[in-house]
Amino acid sequence: MIRAIGGWAVTLRAALRWTVFIAAGFATMAVVLFAFIYWQAASLERQHIDDVILRESAAIVASRPNDAAQALKDWLNADPHEVRYGGLFGPGGERLAGNLAVLPDALPEDGRPHESVFPTIEREHDPTDPEDVRAIASRLADGRLLVLGYDIDELEDVQDVIGRALALGLVLALLLSLLCGTLIAWRAQRRVASMHGAIGKVMRGALSERLPVRGSHDDLDRLAGAVNGMLRELERLVGDIRGVGDSIAHDLRTPLTRARARLERCRDEAQTVAAFQVSTDRAIASLDQALAVISAVLRIGEIEHGRRRAAFATVDLGALLRDAAELYEPLADEKNVSIRLDLQSEGHLVADRDLMLEAIGNLLDNAIKFTPAGSAVTLSLVRQHGSMLLRVADRGPGIAESERERAVQRFYRGEKSRTVPGSGLGLSLVAAVVRLHGLRLVIGGSGAGCVIEIVCPDSESAAPADPGDDCADSGLPSTTAQLNA
Amino acid sequence: MRRLLLIEDDDETAEEITGYFRDRGFDVDCSATGKEGLERASATAPDLLILDRMLPGLDGLSVLETLRRDGVQTPALVLSALSGVDDRVRGLSAGGDDYLCKPFALAELLARVEALLRRPVIGAETVLRVGSLHMDLVARSVRRGARTLDLLPREFRLLEYMMRRAGQTITRAMLFEEVWRYNFTPRSNLVDVHMGRLRRKLSVPGEPDLLANVRGIGFVLQAEP
Repeated sequence: MIRAIGGWAVTLRAALRWTVFIAAGFATMAVVLFAFIYWQAASLERQHIDDVILRESAAIVASRPNDAAQALKDWLNADPHEVRYGGLFGPGGERLAGNLAVLPDALPEDGRPHESVFPTIEREHDPTDPEDVRAIASRLADGRLLVLGYDIDELEDVQDVIGRALALGLVLALLLSLLCGTLIAWRAQRRVASMHGAIGKVMRGALSERLPVRGSHDDLDRLAGAVNGMLRELERLVGDIRGVGDSIAHDLRTPLTRARARLERCRDEAQTVAAFQVSTDRAIASLDQALAVISAVLRIGEIEHGRRRAAFATVDLGALLRDAAELYEPLADEKNVSIRLDLQSEGHLVADRDLMLEAIGNLLDNAIKFTPAGSAVTLSLVRQHGSMLLRVADRGPGIAESERERAVQRFYRGEKSRTVPGSGLGLSLVAAVVRLHGLRLVIGGSGAGCVIEIVCPDSESAAPADPGDDCADSGLPSTTAQLNA
Repeated sequence: MRRLLLIEDDDETAEEITGYFRDRGFDVDCSATGKEGLERASATAPDLLILDRMLPGLDGLSVLETLRRDGVQTPALVLSALSGVDDRVRGLSAGGDDYLCKPFALAELLARVEALLRRPVIGAETVLRVGSLHMDLVARSVRRGARTLDLLPREFRLLEYMMRRAGQTITRAMLFEEVWRYNFTPRSNLVDVHMGRLRRKLSVPGEPDLLANVRGIGFVLQAEP
């Protein structure tokens, strides 16, 4: 509940920030837009006024000297809006015609339009409020000076209209941005709330729950997608652990049940010390089997946690395979199986020699177990595409493609090998060793035999993987199952 | 009589070990804590120490380190439920002479205790003799009576190890640790098949068998019975 309120407060703050942001954005946009409109309209109007006074001034200057005063009078008369001013002055500055009482100061006589102020005009007009005009002063050929002016009040009107529109627009823009901010915040809050709900369900144990994804590919959507990917992986791992737990329970219970039954029977039925000893020996064997399972699980755990990295040193792979072959040769011989050692190349690897030997030994052990009597198990060291391959091949039933991925999981035992004794941990241990060394395990082969390869990427410089690394590759090629470190 | 000091906090385990060793002619003294064990080890000077790693208060390795610092060289065997290889290395470097993981077979413990009590076995001799077996360590040759045996290098080392400990029970794990020097336990019958080969080379049909199986435990090399 407290967390929900906290969430609300956060959302509210975010909403406020959003709203302020959007409002400021809208306001800036409106001001810029109106300033542009005003600037455009004003310069257009000024241009228009300038055109008018230029044209008229040119016409008067060009008329015959006697007609100039009349022409000025005509122009001033045709002015229903009372925006035109003009005056004809003598060479000494005395007024000859027009409605301008005096010659305005500071108006250059260059025949070009300028901003100016006309103080005294013969018309109804407030003398304390001089007229702002665009004005032009031109000297006639006979020395007289013609001054024309045009009121720019119209320009001020445009300014007023636009200013009012701007003020109104700003209010509207602010209202709109408030609305937008609230809407966006409300929608974001709704999505966050639904995600909160989903996460709450996951935390209560519903690992199959997923965060809602809208398909809009925005930040929140991508985040939800990533979290969903994580949940999928978690669900898979938890499922695996559950499966492993079941397997462990099975593999431990079976020998323990046997031991218990034997001890119970011999307590009730054993008549002689010899019979008692036979029974207890068999019970002890069952207990040892259960203990072997526990040891193997702990050992895989130990390897997987990377605790063995202190013993890393450069290992001669050829010598490693020779040692492994020597160790297992008598065992193979007993089953009438031969071990063929095929060292096509030389190579070194920075590795834990004992662990590598144990891994190869496990592969050899399996191969000898499953290959038919009279056939050979091949142990080879091959260089291929810049990688060193440690390969163990047998002529046994092989591992079906559908089972290869699961074959490296703890306690997995293929359908065909259920009748062969073993803890089912051999390949899991190999996989753990391979992962610790940053190598790759490839299970291949067809129906007529199994081929398992440990791929060392670059035999000279292969460095052990980070113990935090995990199996990353889940997209398995169709013919081989790969376990990437 | 050989005197053992057992430092073990679990009553039942201590009782089993004590009973088993007393039946076999050992004098066994028992301590349940590290502190008490340390005092007794210094005061009674036993022939051998068996100590559990995890003890209440002062743990087994600290006891061992203290003893070694004080110059006590009594052979010590460390018992532990920690089976990691690094744990084993730590146990040995703290001054342990052997390390045995729980759970263990009592016979395995006995074999290791016997082996520790009979130390040292590595002498400067160049020739080993056990009954009619004759091993020349310089020429790397082995004869049984007049018959020369053709052994592979590994078989030679295996036989040398057994001859140096003739009459002693040697467990599979001991062989694997000492002869192969591997820190892992492979399938249990791997050592057996190697031993089977050696046995067939030692005795032709009609000759008495020198390598005897000790049921469920390991092997013993005997002079001709």
